[in-house]
Amino acid sequence: MSDKNKLPADDWQGGHEIALSCSGFAQDVEEEWLAEEVISCYNCRYRRFIGAGIQCVKSLFPK
Amino acid sequence: MIFYLCIDDTDNLDSIGTGTIAEQIREKIVTSGYGPCSLVTRHQLFIHEDIPYTSHNSSMCFHGEASDDAMSTIIAMASQHLDSVAAEGSDPGLCVLQFDESNDYDELIEFGKNAKKKVLTKEDALQCAQKNQLHLSEHGGTGQGIIGALAGVGLRIFGCDGEVKGALKNIEIKKSYAVSELKKLPELVKVLDLADKEPLEDATMVNMSNRTKTVLFENEYVLFVNKDDKGAYQTIPKAEIRRLGGDVFYV
Repeated sequence: MSDKNKLPADDWQGGHEIALSCSGFAQDVEEEWLAEEVISCYNCRYRRFIGAGIQCVKSLFPK
Repeated sequence: MIFYLCIDDTDNLDSIGTGTIAEQIREKIVTSGYGPCSLVTRHQLFIHEDIPYTSHNSSMCFHGEASDDAMSTIIAMASQHLDSVAAEGSDPGLCVLQFDESNDYDELIEFGKNAKKKVLTKEDALQCAQKNQLHLSEHGGTGQGIIGALAGVGLRIFGCDGEVKGALKNIEIKKSYAVSELKKLPELVKVLDLADKEPLEDATMVNMSNRTKTVLFENEYVLFVNKDDKGAYQTIPKAEIRRLGGDVFYV
């Protein structure tokens, strides 16, 4: 993700493409999915909903 | 008696979800001879930087039937289960309410509605709980989950909020189904046109054009659909369903 790891509320294509190439992607539980594509930043456990979209917080949880 | 049970804030990044824990509690209640119990609904709560949450902020609720003397057993079963499975670093809360048709639950419902649009505190929750004579307990961490647990019960009683957990997971996307076929699913009682909230007839075809969810609307499990330019009914994407279920409750 760019712009400080943020995406707007509905960049479904962007969220899918970023997640496909992201080694940190971790699928959230099904009831929390938002995007059509399963592999998407919008369906990731490391996304946080913020005012106008989502933010990746993976960097806060180093392995 | 009828009871409502809701849990919140039981998970962390590596754990099973709160919805799965709610289903496990429901299963325990049913195998202990109580029930039947409803499906679990997911209630989206307010997202704000002052509210700690994992990757979402939602509580999970169901209701059921049990003998009049079962309240303490149900509370004990749910508490024990929460204590044994809640994730490290979580702040679980449990709410159980014995429903009394003659009671006025307006304040509890209002608490639930407010939890979708403003930051509430544990003190707010405890005050509301005291007035409504229900069980509200913390199960580790900060116990902040009592706010969402109480809100979930209020919203479930309200009857116009919440996605049905696990709904439509065996439905094929991009395939059309007759309303009568869809109504055979336990998570669906009616298919409603979102525009006028009128039910579709059994023979009407619905194209499952995306990943969607049934929701609780006027205390029934409902699938909302839209008519496209050609007059065909299409399902509504989950993101849109969640937006509609914000603080306007599908209206």
